[in-house]
Amino acid sequence: MSDAPLVFTPRPADPPPPSTIGVVGWMRANLFSSVPNAILTFLGAYIFYVVVYAIIDWALIKAVWEAENRRQCLDMVGRSGACWPGVAAWIPNLIYGLYPKDQVWRINTGFLILIAWAVPLWLPRVKSKVAIGLSLVLLYPLLVSYFFHGGAQTLVWTALIALGGAAFLWVWLTTLAEMRFGLGFGALVARLAGAADDERARRIGWGALAALYVLALLIVSQLSFVEVQTRLWGGLFLTLVISGIGIAFSLPAGVLLALGRRSQMPLIRVFCVTFIELFRSVPLITILFMFNTMLPLFLPQGVEVNRLLRAIVAVCLFASAYMAEIVRGGLQAIPKGQYEAAAAMGLGFWQSTSLIILPQALRIMIPSIVGNFIGLFKDTTLVSIIGLFDLLSMSRAVGEDTRWLGLFIEPFFFITLIYFVFCFLMSQYSLNLERRLGEGQRR
Amino acid sequence: MSQITAPPTTVLRRPVTAPMRLGAFVNDATVRSVFYQAVTFVCVVGLIWYLVSNTITNMAQRGMSAGFDFLDVSAGFNIAFTLIPYREGDSYLRVFQVGIANTLLVAVIGVIFASILGLVVGLARLSTNWLIRTLARWYIEILRNTPLLLQIIAWYFGVFNLLPLPRASIDLGGIMYLNNRGAYFPSPVPEDGFGLVLLALLAAVVGAVLLHIWARRRLRDTGRAFPSGLAGAALIILLPLLVFQASGAPLAWDWPVLRGFNFRGGFSVPPAFCALIVALSIYTSCFIAEIVRAGIQSVGHGQTEAARALGVKPSRTMRFIILPQAMRVIIPPLISQYLNLTKNSSLAIAIGFPDLVSVWMNTSLNQSGRAIPIVAMTMGFYCAVSLGVSFVLNLYNRRILLRER
Repeated sequence: MSDAPLVFTPRPADPPPPSTIGVVGWMRANLFSSVPNAILTFLGAYIFYVVVYAIIDWALIKAVWEAENRRQCLDMVGRSGACWPGVAAWIPNLIYGLYPKDQVWRINTGFLILIAWAVPLWLPRVKSKVAIGLSLVLLYPLLVSYFFHGGAQTLVWTALIALGGAAFLWVWLTTLAEMRFGLGFGALVARLAGAADDERARRIGWGALAALYVLALLIVSQLSFVEVQTRLWGGLFLTLVISGIGIAFSLPAGVLLALGRRSQMPLIRVFCVTFIELFRSVPLITILFMFNTMLPLFLPQGVEVNRLLRAIVAVCLFASAYMAEIVRGGLQAIPKGQYEAAAAMGLGFWQSTSLIILPQALRIMIPSIVGNFIGLFKDTTLVSIIGLFDLLSMSRAVGEDTRWLGLFIEPFFFITLIYFVFCFLMSQYSLNLERRLGEGQRR
Repeated sequence: MSQITAPPTTVLRRPVTAPMRLGAFVNDATVRSVFYQAVTFVCVVGLIWYLVSNTITNMAQRGMSAGFDFLDVSAGFNIAFTLIPYREGDSYLRVFQVGIANTLLVAVIGVIFASILGLVVGLARLSTNWLIRTLARWYIEILRNTPLLLQIIAWYFGVFNLLPLPRASIDLGGIMYLNNRGAYFPSPVPEDGFGLVLLALLAAVVGAVLLHIWARRRLRDTGRAFPSGLAGAALIILLPLLVFQASGAPLAWDWPVLRGFNFRGGFSVPPAFCALIVALSIYTSCFIAEIVRAGIQSVGHGQTEAARALGVKPSRTMRFIILPQAMRVIIPPLISQYLNLTKNSSLAIAIGFPDLVSVWMNTSLNQSGRAIPIVAMTMGFYCAVSLGVSFVLNLYNRRILLRER
């Protein structure tokens, strides 16, 4: 007998056929799996080539980058290439409208504050994200209203601006306190003051907030900016203001309307249903027209409402009706057991709604809410029809400038890119958020 | 508590109303609900009363009237494109009708094109072909993430307004002509006996429906299928064609002919109409494509596998297994997209197409100054369309819900 034990050694597997792996395999599987598919691939590649080449050729290769006016562009390339100097010359107006050049820093500061306010929402160790997010939606507009509009402060307005300012200070103090010590701002002050019990700690916390408010009041009352009337607002700035206020207003209003629609009280239900259905069934442009022509009639004599405010009121009401339906969808998706469990725990209506139901419903609703925001952002273009100078109106004004007479397509192309970048980023962010929040739900 | 405070001599024949403390009020759900509703009612009615009284004062001050009597007055302006006959000098009521007809025309044609395009793109989005899938995805992403108004204006100023003069019209197969004055088609002119053809068409449709009912009954009773869809389509196409030929082709075509500086004859639509239809169809098709994709993906993969295991052919799997289940998911959002398209057609005002909002809420309102009746009538029309469609949709939803087990 041979001394080597008989061991079964399988023949090594053949390598996969070269036509199923690598680039070739991928192309065979995804592009040329059958004859019709191959034809479709060639057709698609041809369409892609034609469209993309036409755009690149027009926008980059044949484009004119330096010229004094449109005549020079036309002399150089005719209509076959884009005339970018016109757009470049108008970029400040496309962004800021007719806002005075020397005051533009106020807009920039306002948006820097926005970014600074929102940064803590992405910092990992910050716990009060809900409070910071709410303050951003509700109180940031108060602070920034003075930066954008300016002029003489009235007593009430100063108080409101200071509220925004105090909230901003609180956001950063809390953020720093939570990142460094793991305690909120109020709690940290109470700890430093050596509060004996919870009741005292709470009182000291509120005291610290009040001190913050007084501080903000002192700072804010020292500010004095030149008034910039709203008819000078325009461009991307105006678009962001209208959609921002629309978003900030529609979220809480939509939640209230949706709760009203699901309420047990018939009268409240009827009011909410009527409001929602009325505003959802007519086009936004009719609402804008209605407020534009009828708001002066609705208000007592002598009360002047400027065009911007009329548009904002219309956009807010319109957006909240849509938001209400989204929230209703989210509320309906919460199983009944959650309501019953909350009631069994002895929670009242507002407690169970705000602590149990809404946090779960909002998570489900995030994609639709962001979708609604994107829709709102796009819909702000309609204010150009009632004579406000939003981004779209400003882009049309380029072609009416005597130097760039007839230059329409290039500004349209440019602002299309702006709208696309904003909306696309929002939708991608929502997808990302949905994926992250859904992690716990996945099985 | 009340028993103790009640004098001992009085026998409790009826329940003594307890002296209400404030706490009892606040904690009683019914009382609270009535209280909240009363407060809301007072607030809303008060607000409405405030607005109405302001409006009445303001209108009296400016000498405006809220009545509908202006509807009979001659409007005195011309409308660039009308589907139904309209002459300068017709009444405001006629203007309203013209606006509705134009809006509905845009809506119907837009819905047809958007559905076809949306279905194609939606299926392309699910294609096994990577290139087609990716192209469809970017088509949707780009068009869905830019404002519709911008697209309408870009199509109008960037394409349809830059078309050549009538003299150098773009000739589409000798049937349709495109130039910067609009699109020109031949229009059919019915002659004597065309009514017979229409009658035949009606009979064919009725016949096809009856055939379909019979085929379904036979399928249920005997299990033998009959291609009723194909046969019905053949009936609807062939029978009127036969009658048409038999009665001596009683239909003439009015061809658009270039005379002088413009085309005469035929049927024409202005460039604004073309831009509106193209922009609305393309924009809405993105949303429809996503609805179609979601609908088809919502049908579990197990369904396809089960059908394969039973030996059902792929085409029949799609038709009898996937689509009927997908439709349940597709139809409601699809209808709401159709409504969106109808509402979005009001953006026509930006490029001067005379739809309802443009001729009625803008031109007529500015001319007559009757803000309240005009706004009410416009909103009434859109509300009626929306609520009517949602009513039908609810009926449909109830029907498909009943079939679920």
